[in-house]
Amino acid sequence: MARPAPLSEQEIYHRCPLDKLEFDTTESLEDLDLPFGQDRVLRALEFGASMKADGFNLFVLGPTGAGKHELVRRFLDRHAADSPVPSDWCHVYNFSHSDRPGVIRLPAGEGRAFKDDMNELVGELKTAIPATFESEEYQARIQELQEEVSRRQHQGLFEIQEEANRNNIAMLTTPAGFTFAPMRDGEVIDPDEYKNFSDQEKELIESKVEDLQKKLQQAIQQIPRLRKEVRERIHALNEEMVQLTLGGPMGALREKWANLEDIVAYLDAVREDVVEHAEAFQDNENGPPQGLLNRYRVNLLVDNADTRGAPVIYEDLPSHQHLVGQIEHRAHQGSLYTDFTLIRSGSLHRANGGYLILDARRVLSQAMAWDSLKRILLSGEIRIESLERLYGLASTVSLQPQPIPLSVKVVMVGDRTLYYLLSHYDPDFLDLFKVEADFEDDLERDEQSYALYARMIATMARGGGLRALDRAAVARLIEHASRLAADQKKLTAHDRVLKDLLSEADYWAGQGHCRFIEACHVQQAIDEREYRASRIRERSLEQIRRGVVMIATEGEQGGQVNGLSVLQLGATLFGQPTRITATARPGRGQVVDIEREAKLGGPIHSKAVMILSRFLANRYAPMGELSLSASLAFEQSYGGVEGDSASVAETCVLLSAITGVPLKQSLAVTGSMNQQGEVQAVGGVNEKIEGFFRVCQQNGGVDGQGVLLPASNVEHLMLNEEIREAVREGRFSIYPVRHIDQAIELMTGRVPGEAEPGAEFPEGSFNRQVADRLAAFAEVGRRTDDEGEGGNGKAYDA
Amino acid sequence: MAKPMMPDQPGPTQVTGRVLILLDGSRQSLAALDVAAEIAHGRGAQVLGIFVEEQNLLRSAGYGFAREVGSSSGAVRPLDSGQLQARLEALAQQARLALARAMSSRGIAQALTLCRGQVPEEVLGLVQPEDLLILGQVGWSGAPGARLGSTARALMRRAPGDVLLWADGVRPSARQRVVVVLNHDQGANHRAIRVGAELAARHHQPMSVLLRTSGDEDGQVAEDILSYLGQQGISARVRRLPMATPAALIRSLKEEQAAQLVLSRQSSLFLDQGAEALLEQMHLPVTVTP
Repeated sequence: MARPAPLSEQEIYHRCPLDKLEFDTTESLEDLDLPFGQDRVLRALEFGASMKADGFNLFVLGPTGAGKHELVRRFLDRHAADSPVPSDWCHVYNFSHSDRPGVIRLPAGEGRAFKDDMNELVGELKTAIPATFESEEYQARIQELQEEVSRRQHQGLFEIQEEANRNNIAMLTTPAGFTFAPMRDGEVIDPDEYKNFSDQEKELIESKVEDLQKKLQQAIQQIPRLRKEVRERIHALNEEMVQLTLGGPMGALREKWANLEDIVAYLDAVREDVVEHAEAFQDNENGPPQGLLNRYRVNLLVDNADTRGAPVIYEDLPSHQHLVGQIEHRAHQGSLYTDFTLIRSGSLHRANGGYLILDARRVLSQAMAWDSLKRILLSGEIRIESLERLYGLASTVSLQPQPIPLSVKVVMVGDRTLYYLLSHYDPDFLDLFKVEADFEDDLERDEQSYALYARMIATMARGGGLRALDRAAVARLIEHASRLAADQKKLTAHDRVLKDLLSEADYWAGQGHCRFIEACHVQQAIDEREYRASRIRERSLEQIRRGVVMIATEGEQGGQVNGLSVLQLGATLFGQPTRITATARPGRGQVVDIEREAKLGGPIHSKAVMILSRFLANRYAPMGELSLSASLAFEQSYGGVEGDSASVAETCVLLSAITGVPLKQSLAVTGSMNQQGEVQAVGGVNEKIEGFFRVCQQNGGVDGQGVLLPASNVEHLMLNEEIREAVREGRFSIYPVRHIDQAIELMTGRVPGEAEPGAEFPEGSFNRQVADRLAAFAEVGRRTDDEGEGGNGKAYDA
Repeated sequence: MAKPMMPDQPGPTQVTGRVLILLDGSRQSLAALDVAAEIAHGRGAQVLGIFVEEQNLLRSAGYGFAREVGSSSGAVRPLDSGQLQARLEALAQQARLALARAMSSRGIAQALTLCRGQVPEEVLGLVQPEDLLILGQVGWSGAPGARLGSTARALMRRAPGDVLLWADGVRPSARQRVVVVLNHDQGANHRAIRVGAELAARHHQPMSVLLRTSGDEDGQVAEDILSYLGQQGISARVRRLPMATPAALIRSLKEEQAAQLVLSRQSSLFLDQGAEALLEQMHLPVTVTP
């Protein structure tokens, strides 16, 4: 296998050709309505937003900061603009069931008018009805009524008294009632004198008294009936007066709202109620009680008077209450009370007939919000339930407003993990969120995309109120977008990072008093960001410079190689070399992964070491016993190791340890390897190379150093200017390797040697040396075993 | 033509005489006790309670066939002398205790006179022209729903001095007024005005004078009244009112927001049961002056 040639400058950086950008500055570029390269999401949104069937709500998934919210909002605003404006909704008093406020649906914008009408009616009730009761007509009629009843009440008693008087019988009052006794000249006859009356006289008197008693009893017992009758007649009079007073305004309202049956029915109920409570309007000192008048007011829950198209609502605090609405309470003299006017709408009410955008993570982190949202979407109606009631913490009587039918498209926005977790664990989820809109992380970088990407940048700059960019700045930004995507053929779609970078570049342009953002400002923004995040990296480099962390970048050394690792701290990635060492001696065919033994190695790393171990056995002792006791360690690594990107380096160092052939310390190695010795792609190559380059720079300068990386990683390279310069000048080399043998050759300077099928490796080759050395190990091993057995025998014999 | 009011005429504070209160143990009469105490305290007068055991009632209970028909229930139950006597004694005792309690808290001298006979006659036998007689508009002996009992009717007309017919459950407010109803042409108006002024001062209420006129008098009477009341520091107004039915007067009283009413016994209202009709309709304390 041929020794690979180092990569050229063009291969390690994909420049943006300026001739593809046919503009001077982004000022001349048109805005991009919708982002390009997100066709999958856009088609999903289009489908989901238009699909009427139940459960076709959307879940927009993608990485944080990809601009999901903005895209969804922009798309829905456009989509909803042509949709019809949904209805207004009002809560009104329910005169049949006061604890279940009624609901009325009105065409958009008419809720306000209805509310005003009812407020006006209340104002009229407040003055017109008391005025009716104060009128001469009413006063006279009520007085007539009262006089009549009073007359009838007294008449009965008066007649009995008269009858008694005519018969010379006195009707007297006792502390608790009445009694009758015979009288003469206005005085009751003395009972002793009465004894002298004839029996006939006595009988006459006593029968008359008895007769009068009965009549009196009847008269008294009729009084409650009489009182009831008067109450009823007064009530009837009140009703009549109120009906007459209300006739005008009510008639006008009924006529105005004749096309809405619910309102007509409600107005009739209002009239009935006012008539029923006519007496309450009679208090001319304080006016009708406010509580009574409030019953006729309208709680305009959803007012779409100013809405254009279907509403698009984003609920930034999707708590249970904010979603479904709530019933508030007012404190009055130490107690809480509520009525239908205190029902507050939730975002589901406001989005009814349109779209509701929610952040999935926030919904899930609010108590009961997710459950309530699901319940409402499944039932198709919004029922306001208080949280304490849902938890069973309150059992006091409260309101249960009539539910409102719901027709809303919910668009949840969240990261992919949440989507997959919900799909897996929540059986309702896929029933309710049938449309998956998956964001692309990266966009294709091809001939067509330059112009579109430039327009996207122009749109961003304009949207953010930033300076326009000149052509070179756009080119630099495109190149950086590739670097962010870690791919020469991709551009990042990460909205937030780009916007932040643009804002920072704009700032630097401002500092430089420039009219446009130029390439140098973009570069400065990139450099400044890197510098701000470089503290840990600098400390790490310092440790290497001072020899605390031992990294050699020149010379040769057996059993020791520079591996490359990547550290991620927050949003910052940086690479640095790590010394990997190996030891080898005869043993039982095992490679000890010290990292794993010390529980500092992750499973993928362990897998890679096992692959390496089997590669060794298969390649160098295919027919014999592998007698090897080897160990591998990441020196001065205390934080754990994960990943398989060091397996090429580990193989090299292990082979060096077996053979004693030294490895070049000027080269660092990254790449994973399969059981056949083929080198496979790894991640973070740019950071790794830049990390090693920096170490070389500070360890006496870059002169002849380099990095080995998997050939399949070449198209991921977007290296910085310093490295490009060193590569151009031949001071730094990047070798793409496809097979472990190429790595061996580069690291040792020896020919690895290829074995024909069934034959040994060629004499003098590196691989032959490995095989021989392992054979020697096996021999030593066998001898040791024999001696051990013999020794035992001797001991036994002795 | 009425005599003009003179500033040197005796003011309200110079009224002397006892305060007599007719007690029958009813709720109305007990409620009037507080008012009696207040007035007596203001005048520095002594209070004499009068409890009359009605002769006719005691006799009627002596009949073997005597029955009592309940005033609210209409239930018929036996009535005998012993039982009635005991009830009257209990009521008298209750009246005595209530009188003592009401007066002692203000340090007013009081006594209770027990008599037996016809109520109006017994009371008239005790009352002097300078005394103020207080009684409930209706006692326990009143018919159900009646606003003016027979005793009140009799004493209102026959008593020699001022009679206050107390109405239970009335709570006057400072917004309401003391209303004096006068005939335009009567000399007895002076006393009514003085009583009205006393009431207005005591309750810190403004005063209205309703002058019942026949339509051809000059404005001098009204001016005299206003001038006199102005000297007494009482806010007052005078309204002329044609000689009309009690119903029209009632409406005027409502318009004036009358809290208390003062009437002269010599008013033409008393000629044809007009006063009784008025009091039947109006539920408010009424003072009838000679």
